Amino acid sequence: MDRRSFLGTGFLVTGGVLFTPTLLAAENSKRLKKVTILHTNDTHSNIDPFPDNHAKFPGMGGVEKRMMLIEKIRSEEEQVLLLDSGDIFQGTPYFNKYKGVLEMKCMSVMGYDAATMGNHDFDAGMEGFLKATEHADFSFLCANYDFADTLLNKKTQATKVFKRGGVKIGVFGVGVELKGLVPDTIFGKTQYLDPIKVANECALELKKEGCDLIICLSHLGYEYADAQISDKVLAANSEHIHVILGGHTHTFLAEPTQVKNRAGNTVLINQTGWGGVHLGRLDFYVDDQLFAKKEMVVVQ
Amino acid sequence: MRFGIVVLLLFLIGACASTDTIAVHPEMLAVKADTVPVNELSAIIDPYRDSLKGEMDRIVGYSPMNLIASRPSSALMNWAADAVFADQTRTVRLSTPTFCLLNKGGIRSTINKGNITYGDVFKLMPFDNQIVWVKLPIECIKDIETFIRATGGEPIANAHIEKGKLLINGMRNDATHFWVITSDYLMNGGDKATFFSKQIEVNRTGRLVRDALMSEIELVGTISADSTVRISF
Repeated sequence: MDRRSFLGTGFLVTGGVLFTPTLLAAENSKRLKKVTILHTNDTHSNIDPFPDNHAKFPGMGGVEKRMMLIEKIRSEEEQVLLLDSGDIFQGTPYFNKYKGVLEMKCMSVMGYDAATMGNHDFDAGMEGFLKATEHADFSFLCANYDFADTLLNKKTQATKVFKRGGVKIGVFGVGVELKGLVPDTIFGKTQYLDPIKVANECALELKKEGCDLIICLSHLGYEYADAQISDKVLAANSEHIHVILGGHTHTFLAEPTQVKNRAGNTVLINQTGWGGVHLGRLDFYVDDQLFAKKEMVVVQ
Repeated sequence: MRFGIVVLLLFLIGACASTDTIAVHPEMLAVKADTVPVNELSAIIDPYRDSLKGEMDRIVGYSPMNLIASRPSSALMNWAADAVFADQTRTVRLSTPTFCLLNKGGIRSTINKGNITYGDVFKLMPFDNQIVWVKLPIECIKDIETFIRATGGEPIANAHIEKGKLLINGMRNDATHFWVITSDYLMNGGDKATFFSKQIEVNRTGRLVRDALMSEIELVGTISADSTVRISF
């Protein structure tokens, strides 16, 4: 039986009967832990809002507005994690001129916790990336780029574990094949590793470390007409990943896509379009008494 | 609404204690406000913002007319290809047939009659594509003809296409290969320019297409664009 419809039906029959508001409040504080995940992707150096005469996003975006929104959420929520799925660089003269320094400064002030590298984050060269990230006080997570023989050796990491109010959140990053997108003079001796294999290894490792929630930052792209590996393909072939926060294809998802993984459990894919026009928000409610989490249920 | 979520969550968790659940409430938030707020970021951005504005408004040259990109060829497309070709060959003696091929899609704006600012050139060519020289075997002429016929026209210089035939200046009957001055974007197969995979040799200049355009404008001051139709099928 389809698990979601089973739960939905069950709620309709008994949900209102079982709980009273008082009981709820008590139950809530005792058993539920809430974590708020905020995320962006493909912000592409859009420091300023789009102009007021912009055909698609008049007056939208801009880091000061994004920060205002983030600050508001931080004032309401205790446990917030702020993530980015890459292509922070390239798209406005701010990048051409200042090579990503301002983007890193702004993200640090906004309190980003981690990001993965998109193909355009190589646009100032590895040297440029290193220079810019001197101003970043958050981590870059790149699990399937082996930078061992490059300037970026040990400058990024595969996974990182965050603790937010007793919830252990494991985060890792996977990126798109660089050949054809980034000049080989720039990516140099970077070894590109199979994102599905690497993602499953990272997720398993994070699960073994006791993570309640496992998040993949992806710059693979949402979906493709051909066989190129996308977030949808990764999700279907994954195990232990709860959420893929995607990028690269500039896909705007009004709500997360749900894909069954190879064990039959739900994986969420989310992507916010591009240019910093939207901020994705996912509030997770994790039950205290259950540790090895298996199934996710989306509550609208 | 928040209360409703909690009710549902508690139910979900209570009802299926044997099968572990994480509940998620998703929301996609629009980043918008009537005015740009002043916050901690503003003080960091303002010096960059002001300096950039000064730089982007700097006048680099003048155009006596409006130039637009349109197929099969137009004054702006000709100008861009001519500028890159001139930038690359001014101090080079060409011993092999060589022409310049750019892509119309890479020209993102117009050049308007009047002063041209530094920022205008960024709008014209925002990408950091680099100029490359690609050596191709003579049989690729056919592939390029097919490619340009399919797209309807691309910026070319030191060559023209007459009734679909690519005629490169200085071409000889016994030539076995030729050079194309192009962007790394096209060389990497962008815009489905797949014929570049037949490359014999590649010279990467590391020079941005935009920098070449910028320096050509600064060199001549007042630009002049050839409005000859260079492509016919």
